[in-house]
Amino acid sequence: MAVASLTIIPAAFGGVAWGILGGALPGISPSITMALLLPFTYSMAPTTAVVMLACTYIGAEYGGSIPAILIRTPGTNAAAATVVDGYMMKMQGKAGEALGISLYSGFVGGLFGMVVLVGLTERLSSVALAFTPPAYFALGVLGLSVIATLAGDSLVTGLIAGVLGLMISTVGTDPVTGLNRFTFDSPELLSGIPPLLVMVGLYAVGDLFVKTGEPDWAKATSEDARIKFPSPAVWKRIARPQIIGSLLGAFEGMMPGGGGAVSSFLAYNEARRWSRHKEEFGHGSPEGIAAPEAANNTVACTALVPMLSLGIPSSNSSAVLLGGFLMHGLIPGPLLFVSHADVVHGLYIGMFTGNVAMLIIGYLIMSPCMWLVNRPKPYLMAFIYALVVSGVYAIQNSIFHVGLTLGFGVLGSAMKYFKLPVLPMVLGVVLGFVVESNYRRALVISSGDYRTFVQDPIAAGLLFVAFLFVTGALVRRMREA
Amino acid sequence: MTRAAATKEDSRREIILGCGTLAIAAGYYLLAIRIPQSDISDVIGAQGLPKTYAAMLAMLSIILIGRAVMARRTATAPEPAISVEPPPSLTASAPKHVGWRTFGMLLNGVLYVALVTTLGYVLSIAGLIASTIYFQGGQLNRRTAAVAVGGALLLWLLFVRILHIPHPPGIWPSLL
Repeated sequence: MAVASLTIIPAAFGGVAWGILGGALPGISPSITMALLLPFTYSMAPTTAVVMLACTYIGAEYGGSIPAILIRTPGTNAAAATVVDGYMMKMQGKAGEALGISLYSGFVGGLFGMVVLVGLTERLSSVALAFTPPAYFALGVLGLSVIATLAGDSLVTGLIAGVLGLMISTVGTDPVTGLNRFTFDSPELLSGIPPLLVMVGLYAVGDLFVKTGEPDWAKATSEDARIKFPSPAVWKRIARPQIIGSLLGAFEGMMPGGGGAVSSFLAYNEARRWSRHKEEFGHGSPEGIAAPEAANNTVACTALVPMLSLGIPSSNSSAVLLGGFLMHGLIPGPLLFVSHADVVHGLYIGMFTGNVAMLIIGYLIMSPCMWLVNRPKPYLMAFIYALVVSGVYAIQNSIFHVGLTLGFGVLGSAMKYFKLPVLPMVLGVVLGFVVESNYRRALVISSGDYRTFVQDPIAAGLLFVAFLFVTGALVRRMREA
Repeated sequence: MTRAAATKEDSRREIILGCGTLAIAAGYYLLAIRIPQSDISDVIGAQGLPKTYAAMLAMLSIILIGRAVMARRTATAPEPAISVEPPPSLTASAPKHVGWRTFGMLLNGVLYVALVTTLGYVLSIAGLIASTIYFQGGQLNRRTAAVAVGGALLLWLLFVRILHIPHPPGIWPSLL
């Protein structure tokens, strides 16, 4: 633990720096920034790796506000609400102040999110030892039921993506009989398709292919690259929107499909509703920056609550973080807190460090950030492509893996064309093995008696929640239709 | 694009998608039933869930196709003959030949996979960077060549020298 804690701090700083740079590039989402880093964390100690990935998420949420304020182009979806008042402040010659409010509000939101994360995950996971194979199966089903909410415009296409993900998870050695399935006599496929390759392919490579059709983004001027922290008067004024943003972010972060974008717009609206200066919103209000930025940085912490305690990712970024856990043989869920409590506690320390690091690095990194944002898009895309193929090869020195990742990249861009959501597929890939292995184990233990899934109280409760989840989503869709 | 035309376009995509996933379901099912039976198999067996997944995908594909066909029929109502062209300012900055460029990006990756063990990491990655710049809308000039060589050397330094991760040496073993 002592050695791990020595590497946690540089990992937190490194992750935040990488996250800010990635988040600052328009179109490079936090999940892509994390997916690009995944292969590099393979050789690290598990705690160091997950801290770096989680801190990348924290950094990316702030990084997205930089181009939102300076060039009216949000670096991430979550920063879209910051554009409104951030860019207006920039036009009034207050770019440094706007960036300072964004950074400070992100820091406040992040700290609040940490309190919620630590408080809730420990409680949720306290039932760890009571989990049996039927309960794990039910947990997997609950995770898959999230697809009903994440499916986007069409439930059918969301379910198709989820089933395709489940199919991918069946490749490799059968978990009960040891027979080979869908391996086509290829030794590389015996251990299955690593979720990491699926995520890097779908998120990073797929996005790279899609971005070929997009024009270059606007460029910033060098005089904008100086952050000014808020004065005491502004500090006092933005306290209320920060509280609103943090509360909404905490709630939305834990909800499937909630994420930073939804919470930041909700926070913006609520901050305007409760503001004494409503008329300033849309014309360069500091409160219009503080609320969404506090919200999206709270989300970066609370999105980990269902992921850590139940093994269910609620957003693309937490799905990539889950991939990082799996890559190191750590299975998020109730048992993680018993079998790898040191990793979880290391992650808490690392994320807290990451939030503090964001304040320092955010201030120092502005010039490199501006330099990067101002590079021509073709050069940046070329370097990202080179980084992906090099990084994927580095995991197991396998050219086959590079080819597989490219294949998932093609699938990712095809999914974008056909409007198939990516996250249900990732959920299918990640949860497929958990669902199948525990379903079959439960039936082996009960000698084929299906009543085992309702006789186990945890399993029955989780299946009931999954049922409510799917029914609720269906009813909402029918009402909307 | 009018609303009816947009619905027709969406329906066309959904029909293609549904046919594609139906074909995947059929192919996957045929592979699933070829998984051998084991003497130590449980009640579900190695084939069990794959066959279920194939059936689920087939069912969802049929629903998708059916829904898209219905939507296509309702979208064929007569419309006023008004053609709405997007303003020139919205189309001027969009890159041209997007399909070919995307194909070029994929081809880059495929060529990299095919050639990296022969040409070696540094040459292959430099080629990948240069061609990606071109397909992303950049020019093939001296600056691009310098960026490609510089980028390749930077990545070689990062992976091979700093992280000690061996990459294929190819025809240039002394460099690795």
